[in-house]
Amino acid sequence: MSDNKQKISEGKSEQLKNVRTETEDVILKRRSVRIYQKKQVPEFLIKRILEAGRFAPSAGNGMPWKFVVIRDQEIIDGITQTVVQTCKMFKGLIDYRYNGSILRKIIANIVIRSKPNDLHPVPFGGVSLIADGKLELFHNAPTVILIFADERGIGFPTLDCGIAGQNMVLAAHSMGLGTCWVGFPKLAFENSKIWKKRLGIDYPYKFVSSLAIGYPVGNPDGMVARPTHAVDWYEGGMKKTLY
Amino acid sequence: MGNLSNSEKKKIPKYDDPSQIEMGLIQFNLDKCNGCGLCVKACPGDAIKLQNKKAKLTDRPECIACGDCVAICSEKAITLVKSYRYSGRYKTIDQGGLELPRL
Repeated sequence: MSDNKQKISEGKSEQLKNVRTETEDVILKRRSVRIYQKKQVPEFLIKRILEAGRFAPSAGNGMPWKFVVIRDQEIIDGITQTVVQTCKMFKGLIDYRYNGSILRKIIANIVIRSKPNDLHPVPFGGVSLIADGKLELFHNAPTVILIFADERGIGFPTLDCGIAGQNMVLAAHSMGLGTCWVGFPKLAFENSKIWKKRLGIDYPYKFVSSLAIGYPVGNPDGMVARPTHAVDWYEGGMKKTLY
Repeated sequence: MGNLSNSEKKKIPKYDDPSQIEMGLIQFNLDKCNGCGLCVKACPGDAIKLQNKKAKLTDRPECIACGDCVAICSEKAITLVKSYRYSGRYKTIDQGGLELPRL
């Protein structure tokens, strides 16, 4: 890595043209891991991962986050249970996707306007799969890091939490571990007080997302195809759009 | 200007209408598939099942084109063919075709 830095400082960026840095490799090969070995991750590695989060950039260096590490199966199972129950309720009330219930569709049409992100087809598919027991919330990972934002934070505290979270994810993958962002525990922290109380979480902390971490089964990391996305590029008085 | 028309903004796509929602698509090379089932477990959308020890799409695959099955397959038997697209208020905009990481 220090080699690459030297190359650039010597004005030899051209040498990077056909070579990816180790960091790029970790970023591009990271896949969400949903099958974990039972073996627990050593404490020192999780602490190192937390350090990667601690050194993430945040608005005004405000560090508006709180990380909660869960390595007790009983708590992981408990949160899962609360989320499954909530998913079952949502599925019963507003699964408007495949069945013909007019009432459900009417409810969904109202709720979708105030909660467009939660009722997007993709997460709603997840809700339905979790309710049916077809998707394990934390994928049986032995370690979970819950990320909470300090609501009083500068600018966009949840964004800062996302940046810190991705730092942790990339650090973990660079160590050969697997991770998966898991957002559904929100259902256990927003719609119920049980888990906030149990874990002593209170204002100003608000659940943002969580990370499942563990040793992967097989070799899940690798490069895959993704759709390109339009990028507008202004230079020399001209605009071009790149894909 | 604007990426969505007013009528699109109001329209919630119908999940059961394939003209309004297109799910992602993967293809299996069954000669290469060894039936290990890792892709089934890796899939977040319940899109893959095993039938006669070979991977197969489920009846209602909710494929989000994440590529996790492609990456985990040790036999390189899975290809990502298409990403998912929505219409109406969730219309997919500004996307191009599938590409591997470019140098």
